[in-house]
Amino acid sequence: LWFCIKLLSTFKFSEGKRGLIRKKQESLKTQDGWWGVGTPLVSPEDDSIRPFRVETTQEQLEDLHRRIDQTRSFPSLEDSRFHYGFNSSYLRKVVSYWRNDFDWRKQVDKLNRYPHFKTTIEGIDVHYVHAKPKNLPEGVRSVPLMMVHGWPGSFYEFYGILPLLTEPASPEDIAFEVICPSIPGYGFSEAPHKKGFDSVCAARVFHKLMKRLGFSQFYVQGGDWGWLITTNMAQLEPKTVKGLHVNFAPPAKPSLTMMMSVLLGRHFPKLFDFSEHDIKRTFPCVQKLVVDAVKETGYLHIQATKPDTAGRALNDSPVGLAAYILEKFSTWTDHEFTNLEDGGLERKFSLDDLLTNVMIYWTSCSIISSMRFYKENFGKGLDQPHSKIPVIVPTGVAVFPNELMHTPKLWVKQKYHKLVTYTLMARGGHFAAMEEPELLAQDIQMFVKIVEKRM
Amino acid sequence: MKRVLAISSLDPCQLKVLLVTSVGIGGLLCYLALRKKTKNIPVGDGWWRVGEKPLSEDRTIRPFVVETSEEMIQDLHQRINQTRYTESLEDGRFHYGFNSAYLKKVAKYWRHEFDWEKQVRVLNKYPHFKTNIEGLDVHFIHVKPVQRAGQKVLPLMMVHGWPGSFYEFYKILPLLTETEGDFVFEVICPSIPGYGYSEAPHTQGFTCLDAARIFHKLMDRLDFSDYYVQGGDWGAFITCSMALMKPECIRGLHLNMVNAKAGGALSIISLLVGRYLPFLVGFTREDVCRIYPFMQKNVYKILRESGYMHIQATKPDTAGCGLNNSPVGLAAYILEKFSTWTDYKNRDLEDGGLERKFSLDDLLTNIMIYWTTGSIIPSMRFYKENMGANFQKTMDNTTKIHVPTGLAAFPHELLHCPRVWARSRFTDIRSYTYMPRGGHFAAFEEPVLLAQDLLQFVKKVESKRPK
Repeated sequence: LWFCIKLLSTFKFSEGKRGLIRKKQESLKTQDGWWGVGTPLVSPEDDSIRPFRVETTQEQLEDLHRRIDQTRSFPSLEDSRFHYGFNSSYLRKVVSYWRNDFDWRKQVDKLNRYPHFKTTIEGIDVHYVHAKPKNLPEGVRSVPLMMVHGWPGSFYEFYGILPLLTEPASPEDIAFEVICPSIPGYGFSEAPHKKGFDSVCAARVFHKLMKRLGFSQFYVQGGDWGWLITTNMAQLEPKTVKGLHVNFAPPAKPSLTMMMSVLLGRHFPKLFDFSEHDIKRTFPCVQKLVVDAVKETGYLHIQATKPDTAGRALNDSPVGLAAYILEKFSTWTDHEFTNLEDGGLERKFSLDDLLTNVMIYWTSCSIISSMRFYKENFGKGLDQPHSKIPVIVPTGVAVFPNELMHTPKLWVKQKYHKLVTYTLMARGGHFAAMEEPELLAQDIQMFVKIVEKRM
Repeated sequence: MKRVLAISSLDPCQLKVLLVTSVGIGGLLCYLALRKKTKNIPVGDGWWRVGEKPLSEDRTIRPFVVETSEEMIQDLHQRINQTRYTESLEDGRFHYGFNSAYLKKVAKYWRHEFDWEKQVRVLNKYPHFKTNIEGLDVHFIHVKPVQRAGQKVLPLMMVHGWPGSFYEFYKILPLLTETEGDFVFEVICPSIPGYGYSEAPHTQGFTCLDAARIFHKLMDRLDFSDYYVQGGDWGAFITCSMALMKPECIRGLHLNMVNAKAGGALSIISLLVGRYLPFLVGFTREDVCRIYPFMQKNVYKILRESGYMHIQATKPDTAGCGLNNSPVGLAAYILEKFSTWTDYKNRDLEDGGLERKFSLDDLLTNIMIYWTTGSIIPSMRFYKENMGANFQKTMDNTTKIHVPTGLAAFPHELLHCPRVWARSRFTDIRSYTYMPRGGHFAAFEEPVLLAQDLLQFVKKVESKRPK
């Protein structure tokens, strides 16, 4: 409903017509920021890169176990499955596994398998994982790639795909050197202490990070917030971003072309280059674009308006946090999973992986700051400068069939003017890297190969 | 052409029949169009437990005493002690939700000064009861009046909302059960099933229509044949449903949250014109003051404040899970409403302005009712049940209500409903008052004002009743 109202208020016919004619290329402007406590120091910023290890203590584990043990659950309604949110019977199973079988120390060792680092940028510590390919053959250079996560995910979502990118099986494939940062406010990255940290600020911070690591040109990949941050990175410095690959691309600004395709697309699909999948996911449009969106955006609405309130209990109750986060891993992987008693979670993910992601939010106390990102971005309205500027960097879009929002190629092209690949993937949902790492890796490979060849 | 010829070819007798029939049909059509659309909603029935309904119903009314235990208090204290806080942003105040600095103060008071045993005694000041209706134990307090010589006793049911409880009425109860005038009230304050000490439904589909029917049954069980009803928030929806279901039982309906709008294009036109020519569309100066600027006060404000409603209407079990385990989290969630819905400007204050109108003891007692009963999740489910598939039926705000109605429009209520719009829904408004101060939790915040308005409304209704 929020989206609809904003859609209507920002839509202007005249602007739509101009969109049909190529606009002069504008790049996104941004000012420097400072997010630490108090006022910035006069002396130059400490730009050292410090190695970081994920650690845990007995105390932390005991506290977690105690809180899990004192969980007060409330039974779900008869036969409500996942329609009212996370089902209480299945939650009890997850919690029992978490309490008795989940080995956090083992998972911490797994997290530390790749080297972690922290560096101070704009007053806050930014955390990232730096995965370098091993055993590169003589004369072959790796291609730098930054992969940005979203909410309620983390850098850990990429642990399944990192081996495929840094050590591809085929010698024909490109070996990537991958940087996976944590968005400030998420996981091991420090949270901004000042208001106003939105996706453009994150993009700017990540550009500084890559510069600090000595990369003058690199690829970026992202889904969820990662999609927006990497898009902003491409808009900020189009010469630095060699290619942009996304697995999520909701339309930013409605244009006349999009409106026309919604009105006529069902009857004249060829006119708008609509495939069968496009039709299936877009029509009936009120049901698919409005009603379904309203049903699933309650979290977005409360996080974009009252993040501190929404997150307070979640920072205190690990089970509450798990229910809140894992509900998304169920519904956003396949909307049909709401009809299942167990939300279908273990069909595509292991409990170990899911709980490791939750533990990152839990141990770093970052649920509130992660939610604030919604307010910082949506609070200013959907009419931000970055939503009006097109992307001129070569772009590849991997369209997963169960993604939250489906964007037909025509709509993608409204914003991404250099669309190189647009692939309808065989299967998968919102958490593509974690759920279908091989498919995503293949698409990234294909996209980068094409861009590299063109250069 | 052919038809015209056909008519002229009829003989006088046939013409007469045709004339009479057409006048008759025309008259019927006019009558159908102009008559009061007295649409009652069907009463229906329900059963909210899993399994078959037994043949006989248990109609006993059992006294109930609110209790506490050392164990409960220890558990609460331990959870408060282990709260993990996250600092609010610099100068965040209440714009991002409940401020962490003030939350720590509240938690400290709760942990070290709040005396729950004392508050339980306060709660037990009035007699509590439980009775089983449609499979659920429905809790209520029953306050008998101090009747002076010559005073008439009028039954009154007051219904709370979310995130409130029957406790919101504790300040107004003395003003209604002991009066100077011709009548005094005998008050019943139930807890909506799923809230506080009322059992939560075990099956899906429990809406405010079902709550309305259950409350009618409750009054019937207490041998009241007709009564006044008063409500705000969900209480307003439920009491309106009660008036639609069994108008013959409702002596009068008093609301502090008015849920009505002019139909269709009329409301849009009146909004556009009303700012400049208010008298043309029936707006008073006070209406204009409260509605405009429209986008700011109505659309943006509601968008900013309805996040909770959106998540509770779609994923209540997820939203409530953490709250049921973290008392401080629950307090932040609930008290944020007591701050913002009492005065929207409270968002600009570091402490949310909470203690300007309420005492921490009262606020925390309300929260303890949710905490000790673990009822936050079912209380949230009520949103989904009402706003889901049956949304048209349950959230109806246009079906006309014909019982004598009294409306108290508080200035800081979330949405203001001009009298002219209220008139399009409530056909028998006996009083419409622009209250001088107060917000959403009227009974809790301004009990004297609300009591005064209720008394003058009832006086007007009683004076017009046939003896």
